Amino acid sequence: MISLENIAIGYKEVLFSAENIELSKGKVYALVGRNGVGKSTFLKTLSGNLVPLKGQIKVSGQNLVNLNNSEKSKLIAVVESKFDGISFLSVKDYLGLGRSPYTDIFGRLENSDLEKIQEVAEVLKIKHLLEKDTVEISDGERQLVMIARALVQDTDLILLDEPSAFLDFINRELLLKSLVEIAEKYDKCMILSSHDIDACSRFSLPMLFIHNKQLIYSEKFDLERVKS
Amino acid sequence: MRNLNRIKLALAISAVVLPVFFVLDLMVGQIQISFVDVWNSLFGQVSDETISVLIKEFRFPKSMVAIIAGASLSIAGMFMQTLFQNPLAGPYVLGINAGASLMVALSMLTGISFFYNEYGMIASALIGAFSVGALMMIIATNLRNTVALLLVGLMLGSFISAFINLLEVGSIADSLKRYTLWSMGSLQQVSFSQIPVISLVFVLGFTISFFFVKPLNLLLLGENAAVNLGLNVKFSRLGILFVTALLSGLTTAFCGPIAFVGLAIPNVTRMLLKTRNHTWLLVGNAVFGALFLLICDVFIQLISGEILVPINVLTSLFGAPFVIYLVTRKRL
Repeated sequence: MISLENIAIGYKEVLFSAENIELSKGKVYALVGRNGVGKSTFLKTLSGNLVPLKGQIKVSGQNLVNLNNSEKSKLIAVVESKFDGISFLSVKDYLGLGRSPYTDIFGRLENSDLEKIQEVAEVLKIKHLLEKDTVEISDGERQLVMIARALVQDTDLILLDEPSAFLDFINRELLLKSLVEIAEKYDKCMILSSHDIDACSRFSLPMLFIHNKQLIYSEKFDLERVKS
Repeated sequence: MRNLNRIKLALAISAVVLPVFFVLDLMVGQIQISFVDVWNSLFGQVSDETISVLIKEFRFPKSMVAIIAGASLSIAGMFMQTLFQNPLAGPYVLGINAGASLMVALSMLTGISFFYNEYGMIASALIGAFSVGALMMIIATNLRNTVALLLVGLMLGSFISAFINLLEVGSIADSLKRYTLWSMGSLQQVSFSQIPVISLVFVLGFTISFFFVKPLNLLLLGENAAVNLGLNVKFSRLGILFVTALLSGLTTAFCGPIAFVGLAIPNVTRMLLKTRNHTWLLVGNAVFGALFLLICDVFIQLISGEILVPINVLTSLFGAPFVIYLVTRKRL
């Protein structure tokens, strides 16, 4: 699904590098490491908005460097860490924007697009929010809606930048649980950056750990190693 | 669904009210003209030569310009507000009008003949509008703070005005008067023969606008999200800026810098239609903007005596309190 081939990541100076790593579909990968090690930079690189300083990244067999924005948007969805909501923008319209990679030049939604939105809303149990304004719903609900937009985008790879940062303990657990379920059920590859190493460990997510300028992959979450 | 009906209803009502005010605007003035005479002057036999000339040569172009200018400025304002993600943006606030004004001042006050015909005027206003728009765009990419950005726009406006003042000081009385009148904003500078050109440019700008509905909807989410949803941001920004310059440059060239319409109407439209879908906002801004300027002009005709009150007096009178309301009610 994703292959990292001998990459070095950073803006001008190398923040960290990695040897060959293969990530597969149906799983949620936890991207962990201390502040400033380059988690966000890594996500930006994976989204194709930053070119790796060395090596190459392939998503579904295609080298990211060779794709334009439109092509990338059909392969990769990004869930930003925060969305404050926009007045007069309904949840439904917001999710509709997630279909942009597939709509025509005027952005009109076909029936198939609307069905996709309904389907995702059903899975994430946010159907009752569809007609609401994006500023009227709670932070937790908005977080779910953001994830829904990424699912609506119908990509193999979903990148999540600290999706639980603004949630309380119970909602964090619920969110992780549903992400794992969705990744399995819909065969998605998800990579989420997180500071909540305890939760990642409890769900024993496969781990991408940035430490000492190296990206280390381990199949099981290694809490001891991260903490040391 | 419920909201969609609401949008359609609001637009339908305005579509009925708009022609009513259009006819009303033709009727009122220093001489009141009856509906029958208005109708006959436009379509039927001429009953009175003076009235016919008055309607055809003065009032009809003026009312048409009110519609086109109101729609253009409102659409341009909406574009700027979405592009800069700021409800207080607009061609006037961002200095785009000032850019157009400077170029018009150059053509009117220096007498460089290259600019000294009506097409030269439009062209120079467009160039001025586009240059300032592009400059603000560059500044905006480096300056995320919205209040700071507006301040930069206002400062840029004053900076450009300083140059205009310099030109004014050095110019002869005749052209200075012409420019001063122009700068107060007026719907009356347009003759019947210019209407086709103005209408054509407006229809062109309005039509192109629909091709930027999707980029505008995506830009609501911010640039990063828009890119991740497949948008070519650079091209979209440039295109949106071009249409903005076209519409506000067109208006400024013919009517002078008209204040507040481009700032207030997009906000009113959003509040009335309760949507962020730019297809509806585009139609809404065109209709409400046109209606607003028509109503302003009817008011002007009703309160004016011998000397006509400049259009900016009215737009500012309605617009300024509204902006104060916006600022105090909403966090920026």
